[in-house]
Amino acid sequence: MKNSDVISNNAGSDKIDIHYPDFNVLDLMDEWDSHTKEIVRRRLEPLPDREFFTDREAWYMGMIARHMVYDYRDDIIEWVIHHFDRKLGSGIGESQRKQGTPPEAVLVREGLKALDHVSHLSFGKDFGELDEKQQFEILAGLQMGKAPKIPQWSQVPQKDLFDKLVSEIVAAYYSHPAIWSEIGYGGPMYPRTYVRIELGLTEPWEARRTEKNRGAGSDEQ
Amino acid sequence: MNNKGMENTDYIKHHCDHYLGHRYDHMGKRKYGDREVDVCIIGAGAAGSVLAYELSKAGLETVVIEAGPFWNPQSDFASDELAMQNLAWNDTRLVAGNNPLSMGHNNSGRGVGGGPVHFTGVFFRFHESDFRVRTMDGAAWDWPITYRDLEPYYSKIERDIRVSGPRYFPWGAFHGPYPYPEREPISANSQVFRRGCDVLGIRSTVAPLAILSAPFDGRPPCTNRGFCNQGCMPNAKYSGLIHHIPKAIGFGAEILSDSMVTKVLTDRSGDRVTGVEFVHDGKTYKQKAKIVIISAFVVETPRLLLNSATPGHPNGLANSSGMVGKYIMPHTGHDIYGKFDEEIRFYKGTPVLAVSQEFYETDLHRGFIRGYTFNAHGSRPVSMARTLAANAGIWGKQLKEIMLDFNFYARITLVGEVLPYEHNTITLGNEKDEYGLPRPVVTFSYGENENRLIAHGVARANEILEAAGGQPAFVVPDTAHLLGGCRMGDDPADSVVNRFCQTHDIPNLYICDASVFVTSGGCNPTETVMAVAARTADHLIQNAGRGGQKREEVSRGKVTANAR
Repeated sequence: MKNSDVISNNAGSDKIDIHYPDFNVLDLMDEWDSHTKEIVRRRLEPLPDREFFTDREAWYMGMIARHMVYDYRDDIIEWVIHHFDRKLGSGIGESQRKQGTPPEAVLVREGLKALDHVSHLSFGKDFGELDEKQQFEILAGLQMGKAPKIPQWSQVPQKDLFDKLVSEIVAAYYSHPAIWSEIGYGGPMYPRTYVRIELGLTEPWEARRTEKNRGAGSDEQ
Repeated sequence: MNNKGMENTDYIKHHCDHYLGHRYDHMGKRKYGDREVDVCIIGAGAAGSVLAYELSKAGLETVVIEAGPFWNPQSDFASDELAMQNLAWNDTRLVAGNNPLSMGHNNSGRGVGGGPVHFTGVFFRFHESDFRVRTMDGAAWDWPITYRDLEPYYSKIERDIRVSGPRYFPWGAFHGPYPYPEREPISANSQVFRRGCDVLGIRSTVAPLAILSAPFDGRPPCTNRGFCNQGCMPNAKYSGLIHHIPKAIGFGAEILSDSMVTKVLTDRSGDRVTGVEFVHDGKTYKQKAKIVIISAFVVETPRLLLNSATPGHPNGLANSSGMVGKYIMPHTGHDIYGKFDEEIRFYKGTPVLAVSQEFYETDLHRGFIRGYTFNAHGSRPVSMARTLAANAGIWGKQLKEIMLDFNFYARITLVGEVLPYEHNTITLGNEKDEYGLPRPVVTFSYGENENRLIAHGVARANEILEAAGGQPAFVVPDTAHLLGGCRMGDDPADSVVNRFCQTHDIPNLYICDASVFVTSGGCNPTETVMAVAARTADHLIQNAGRGGQKREEVSRGKVTANAR
């Protein structure tokens, strides 16, 4: 599957131009160490059952994730939800949490419920029934702490909810190898070594812009 | 959330007891068992690793207790940002203040080696002025020690781990040369930084690094893999995990990993400590010791002291001054991005290969005191995208578009001094963790001096990026490192430890880690943490000799970097 094929499924009507349509980081997978290979391969395999999210919550998470990463590819979004599901279901800590904000599992679960309340207040429907523009408006409001006032926000601070969602979703999304390929990130690199790290130099296996994608300000030296 | 009681919830479980010729996945065969050892060190990080090495080498019976695992770089590390967040201390810390800190991977390590397992390896000495901020700038405090007191230990650490760096380092009291030659070549991201500095007449150098530029001790030079923050797989980057700790084991030290110290124990009078209590996999154990050294970092060190309160020490151990947990300081860690027409590909190579300390010292014309270091600082997709989203509020289509140009960005990080303020603290919260201990609350707010320093640094960084041919793109607010909270001083009324890191209140209790810092300096602090540890070790060894505590050296095995 080439990136140029999948990118057309992207959100929004404008075509997104990518620099490296021919690069697939997975072509190099055989060169990676076995631990890294195992970690990345799991992102591409069928996902195990969820541990935390209910079906409805997972459905909501999918809609939210599509907005936050501006991407509609189901396999990638499913993986993002899976990552978040595992994190919330584990006993691993959350590194930091603002004093007064509930633990992340409560924040997310109650936060998803609150989305319905605020959607009803604004549009008379559940969040899941809103159109994309309306959903975006609700999420953008959360980010600024300016979504319509509902009592739930006293338990679930809206900005903290937004930050938690965006931070986990974005981290998972940019951990998917399809995205690495798209942005031309070299990805895992061991035991192979880099020799060409200076300006204008690339290893033979690194992402290269095709002629079509090279603008006037070419860096060829 | 966690209903599993006091189980070890780390991702990875290994042997928990390590000493020369032995390793066990249970606590049934401990080297010393119920016996009292000379020294018990809590935490195997930057300070604890150096202490363990020096003290065991001098023949002291040493036990190190580490909350996290004893990593195996080959099978535990991976070239993946998301998976390697497990190198951080991820236990939830509550954060508060006007500028609540990012913790975890941002500043705290977990497991043998501690923070340096995921640090960038940037290795600076403090300047002379850093120890005399009160005298020179009329703010903060002077340290009870000077640069000269630490100088021999800076040199020793640099020699011991073969720091690589420039032949001439232009700033501070030390101008090189470093034991190992500077890194060559440097990455494109560092090249454009230096190019911009050259245009503006700002001096820059190749970074001094705790990363090998030539083979040493069975370890190879850096391969420019670029995953310093995810754990070095070739073992080119220093951490106690692959240097000091295996050697300490060779000298007779015992390392107990996956073991969380929950309390420092005192005798009935409360005048002396007698050892520690720790939890491994739900069971509580004790380790008796003549001397206890807490090297558990700026959050867990004060937390442990506060949680170890007794009727004789109602406000926590070593806290008669009320200074435990006060005056914590991060560094500013603002990331300044510039966009270029040419590909930079800042994922390649050691993340920081060029630096400038041109704005390190006070210049009152700038409108603030003290200063900062610039690090040309590469990044990777998760780190870049996540901080853009979480710290700079960029998401959706805008984030997607920025990230599609991932290879065209260069980045400079502003590591700026933060002055000590009484309102920046570690305290105990109401919520409890899985051990039943109150979680720490980390409270932080910038002051006016920092806001001015940040504005100055961001403007200069953008000028550098522009002079190099880039377009200033965005600034992501962030912090780095954490220091203070048990500061050293000569006066027991306003400090926690003396100039040798001995607590004023309890003569056989020491605190030796970044928490003893009086001021933050304006650069990466790990070398200073390690130099302070080496000096403390020297003091303990000399005192052990005088006190008749010096004992026959334990039989030494062959010491290799792979000894476990």
